[in-house]
Amino acid sequence: MAGQTDMELIKDGVRLDGRKADELREVKIVAGVLDNANGSCYLEWGNNKVYAGVFGPMECHPRHKQKADRAIVQARYTMAPFSVNDRKRPGYDRRSSEISYIASQAFEKVVMVEEFPKASIRVDMQVVEAHAGTRCAAMTAASVALADAGIPMRDMIPACASGKVNDVVVLDLNKEEDNYGQADLPLAIIPSTGEVVLLQLDGHLTPDEFEQALDLATSGCMDLYKKMRLALENKYGGSA
Amino acid sequence: MSNDSVSNLMKGHMESLAKEGKRADGRGINEFRKVTIETGMLNTAEGSAMVHLGNTKVLCGIKMLIGTPYGDSPGSGTMMTSTELAPLADQSFDPGPPREQSIELSRVVDRGIRESRMIDFEGLCIEHGEKVWTVFIDLHILDNGGNLFDCCTLAAAAALSNAKIPNVQHGVADKDVDLPVTCWPISCTFGKLGDSVILDPTSDEEGVMSARFTVAHDENGNLRAAQKGMNGAFTDAEIREAVKTARASDNVLREALKGIQG
Amino acid sequence: MGKESSDKSDSVSSRKLVLPGDLLETKSKPGRGIFRRDGRVHASVLGYSSDQSGYMNVNAITGGYTPKVGDKIVAICVETGPSVWRMDIGASFNSTLHHSESGWKVPFGDTARFLTIGDAIWAEVFMVDAAGTHQISLKKDDCRKLYSGTIVKIGPTNVPRVIGKQGSMITAIREKTQTRILIGQNGHIWIDGKGNDIATVQKAIEMIDNEANSKGLTKKIEKLLEK
Repeated sequence: MAGQTDMELIKDGVRLDGRKADELREVKIVAGVLDNANGSCYLEWGNNKVYAGVFGPMECHPRHKQKADRAIVQARYTMAPFSVNDRKRPGYDRRSSEISYIASQAFEKVVMVEEFPKASIRVDMQVVEAHAGTRCAAMTAASVALADAGIPMRDMIPACASGKVNDVVVLDLNKEEDNYGQADLPLAIIPSTGEVVLLQLDGHLTPDEFEQALDLATSGCMDLYKKMRLALENKYGGSA
Repeated sequence: MSNDSVSNLMKGHMESLAKEGKRADGRGINEFRKVTIETGMLNTAEGSAMVHLGNTKVLCGIKMLIGTPYGDSPGSGTMMTSTELAPLADQSFDPGPPREQSIELSRVVDRGIRESRMIDFEGLCIEHGEKVWTVFIDLHILDNGGNLFDCCTLAAAAALSNAKIPNVQHGVADKDVDLPVTCWPISCTFGKLGDSVILDPTSDEEGVMSARFTVAHDENGNLRAAQKGMNGAFTDAEIREAVKTARASDNVLREALKGIQG
Repeated sequence: MGKESSDKSDSVSSRKLVLPGDLLETKSKPGRGIFRRDGRVHASVLGYSSDQSGYMNVNAITGGYTPKVGDKIVAICVETGPSVWRMDIGASFNSTLHHSESGWKVPFGDTARFLTIGDAIWAEVFMVDAAGTHQISLKKDDCRKLYSGTIVKIGPTNVPRVIGKQGSMITAIREKTQTRILIGQNGHIWIDGKGNDIATVQKAIEMIDNEANSKGLTKKIEKLLEK
């Protein structure tokens, strides 16, 4: 968050991209787009474009990372060099490392890791175009890819951010709001229980605004969850 | 799941098919798989293309930045090619820094583009000896269905044809213009399967073949780059024949590239 | 050869697509593909639910191979040890074939003379332990080393579609092409016959694998085989 700014990001309840405060950008999800991966997903969220692919469960390498009584989830989040306006140097940085780490842990909560001792489930998330909210887009795509791979899970986890711009709590920040807004709160939940598996926050929120932001992000997650279901029903033909 | 084991039976079957001029997927030995090219899908890149060659999928993004020219060519722009073997593309692609496989791929694609003078580098000079455009060709492999070399060269050529120089963003001029492109290099890759040589190998075929040969031609049918890979060998006659076959077969890919100019 | 009866869940009439986490209303006992939370039954995998014979199951329609004792499978040798072979059976972990389960008299250290890397066998899963490791055997029924033909790998959840109702699909494929086929429960399928016939069968099986959930598949396969 760049903090306070004079930039007018929301006026009379309407945001720069024409959305209301509680509105998501357009989301398109397609399950099973890659042939090699055991499960995969392509997701567009506003102008964000993300691929996710899953391999496993398979033997965990390196061996010292194996857990005798369960599988580990090795999630990896990467941004392509051409995904942002200034070319990003290829490879891993501290930001992608952190996102990969907390995403792995979030997935380990829902994946039935206890069914696959010593195994590894590899979840790869590739951001090919980025316009704010890519970690949520990537995790949502990865959840669909996990289901597409037939990995046993307690639920799929949607992820969605809320935030604050011009002192208004809004859902799903766009690029300008992310750059010049006052707060950003990415959230991932387990829809069937309401449990929180990922929460980050940076910026400035009053305790009341925090509660509001949490409500808004939760409702965003639930909306997204419906779209995730639809993507899988489209691929597998729904009830027949 | 470990789906990478290859049985001797599969190898024998593919070799005996190739001997009769046939392939497991119904193609002839000198036939490319179905190719589709889409361009301009990325807003953050100066140029972009997605190429499907059979099951292989490669996304290419072009970025351009202002840099300094090399001392020996003060009036020319520069280019750099990188490939990312994304772990989602193949179970055997490990996360981590690029390894030899990825570096070889980048360099072969780079040579085809560079040596054919596809990009008019003089046209990328902003200030002689001081400021030139650097073209970054970043290839993202999303699905490895075999023959990454040809698919990457095609994706790079398509994305470059689609690229605009970002003059406005960098304050160079008040209008963005097309990247100056002079010709299209096309690469053709062959695999040695038993005693046969096949064009455009799939990943199954790559798993059992002993050697690989890539040759890139320009539009006039002249050779611009070549690379022999893997630990097997070709006979002298096989190499000569492959180069001829490449010239006779690459029009499918040229037509696909022309299609995007529409 | 093996179990070629089609999976009961495959009957199109009563099946319902469920996703991981979906609540399943049932009074039946929990079977496979499900988990319990707060005394209620939920789906754990993407698949079709079936509430039959007192059990609630979700039959996965995508995903990897989980070995079960008695499964007939096609396995490929990936490593040889002094007294065992390590075999790829398409599961999370490679399986073990101990020399005592091979039916051969193998002198210590001489395993590779009988079965070497890349060799394939038709075998049976005879032991699976709680930690998920498993062993296979060559000593049952028609189990043997495979000397000719080829192997095609498909998703194990599509094996029932390759077999078809009461074996109808695979019978049609065999008759039309004059091939010998062994369908491993692990999705590894052995095909033997003339080169052209093998190629046709491979195409048919790959089509079933790619379009397992689409309608009119049987017609498409018939058309392919007529060619």
